[in-house]
Amino acid sequence: MSRQSRENQKGLTVKDLVTTGIFTALLFITMLLGGIIFAPNPVLTFYQPLGSALLGGPVLMLLIAKVPKRGPIAIVGILIGIVWFATGMHWAMDIGYMLGGILGELIAGSKKYKSKVLNIIAYICISLGATGSYICFFVDRENWCSYMLEGGTAASYIDTMNATAANWMLAVILLGTIVIAALSGFVGTKLLKKQFEKAGITA
Amino acid sequence: MREINLDPRTKLLLLVLCVLCTMFAPSLTYELILVGLVGAVGVMSGKYRYAIMGVAAYGVIYGITQFTIYELSGTWQAILAAFFGLVNKVYPCGFLAGFMVSTTKTGEFMAALQRIRMPNQIVIPFAVMLRYLPVVREDWHYIKDAMRMRDIAPSVKNILFHPVMTVECLYVPLMTAASNTADELSIASVTRGIENPGPRSSLVEIRFSAKDVVAVLVFLGYFAAGLLRRRGVV
Repeated sequence: MSRQSRENQKGLTVKDLVTTGIFTALLFITMLLGGIIFAPNPVLTFYQPLGSALLGGPVLMLLIAKVPKRGPIAIVGILIGIVWFATGMHWAMDIGYMLGGILGELIAGSKKYKSKVLNIIAYICISLGATGSYICFFVDRENWCSYMLEGGTAASYIDTMNATAANWMLAVILLGTIVIAALSGFVGTKLLKKQFEKAGITA
Repeated sequence: MREINLDPRTKLLLLVLCVLCTMFAPSLTYELILVGLVGAVGVMSGKYRYAIMGVAAYGVIYGITQFTIYELSGTWQAILAAFFGLVNKVYPCGFLAGFMVSTTKTGEFMAALQRIRMPNQIVIPFAVMLRYLPVVREDWHYIKDAMRMRDIAPSVKNILFHPVMTVECLYVPLMTAASNTADELSIASVTRGIENPGPRSSLVEIRFSAKDVVAVLVFLGYFAAGLLRRRGVV
C-alpha cells in the first residue's frame, strides 16, 4: 500500500496520516473515559490528568510502532489540543497538549522511535498536557478566584485557599500523572510485544 | 425569525474571543453577560431550547458560586471555589462550542480549515478522526458481545479478578480493528483522489458576510470592555 501511494514532502504517506487520525480518535476516547470520573467532581477534579493518562498508553505505543516516522506524535498532540479547544476546554490544557505532543515527538524521534523508554516518555509528555490548566491555577491562585469576589474584601477567603490547596497538590498531580502514564505506556509495550508484533500489525 | 448560519471561520474566531474574554474576565457579572451573549448567538442560529437551557444552567452555577464565596467557609469553600473557578472559566466556551458543533457540518468545517491554510498533515488526520469517533462506539458493542460469549465480560468483577486478561481482550480487538480500518480507509481515500495536489473544492460554499462582521465586532467590543474594566478604567 505505501508503495502505491505517492509520498508527500514530509515523508508521511496518506496511509500514515489516516492511521494517525484513527489512533488519535482512540486515544481521545481513552482520555475521555479515564477523565470523566474525575472532571465533574469538585473534590477529584484536580486529579483528572491522572485518570486521562491511565488508558491511552497501548494506543500510542501501537501508533508509534505502526508509523515510526517524524510527525505522528506531534500531530496527535495538536489534534487533541484542537478538539479540546473546539469543545471549549480551558486554553492552557489545549496548548499543553500541543506542546506535549511536539516535545514527545522530539524525544522519541531522537532514537528514531525505536527506543521503548523514549516512546514511553513521549506518552508521558502528551499526558502532562492535561495538567496545563492546573499549573495555571497554582501559578496564579489569587487571580484565579479573585474575579469571582467582585472586588469585595475577603482576605480570610484567600487565606483558606492558600492553606488548603497547598503546593504539594501540584506535585502530586504532576508526579502522579508521570507515574500513571509510564505504567500505561509500559503495559502498552508489553501488549505490543505479546500480541501485535506476532500478528504482523506493526510496521 | 429565519435562522442565521455564521461562517465556520467566524465561529472559530468567536470561540477564540470567548476564550480571551474568560481569560481576562474582571468579574462574575461579566461572565454572566458573556453567557447571555453566547445564548443570543444560539437563539439566532435557531437553537432555542439549547440556548434557554444553557443560560438557565449557568444561572444555577452562578448562584452556587455566589453561595460558595459568601456563605461557606473553610475547606469546603476552598475546594468548591477552585472547582467553580474552573467551571466559570470553561462554561461560556463550552456553551459556544456546543452551538458551533451542532450547527456546522463536517464538510463545512473541513472547508474552513482548508481556507485558513491548515497543512494537509493536520487536515487529513482531523477529518479521519471525526469520522472514526462514532465507529469506535460501534466496535465497542461488538467486542462486548463477543466477550460475553466467551465468559470474559468487561464487568467490574472480571476487571478486579482477571485484570490482565480483561484488558487484553479489550485492547487487542479494538486496536486490530482500528489498524484494519486504517488500511481500508486509506485505500478508499486514495481512490477518491485525496492526493490531488491542487486546491480542494467543496460542495458547501463558505464566505463571510455582514452578519459575521457584526458578530465578531460585538464579541471584540465586549472583550475590550472587559480589559478596560479589569484595568479599572471604566
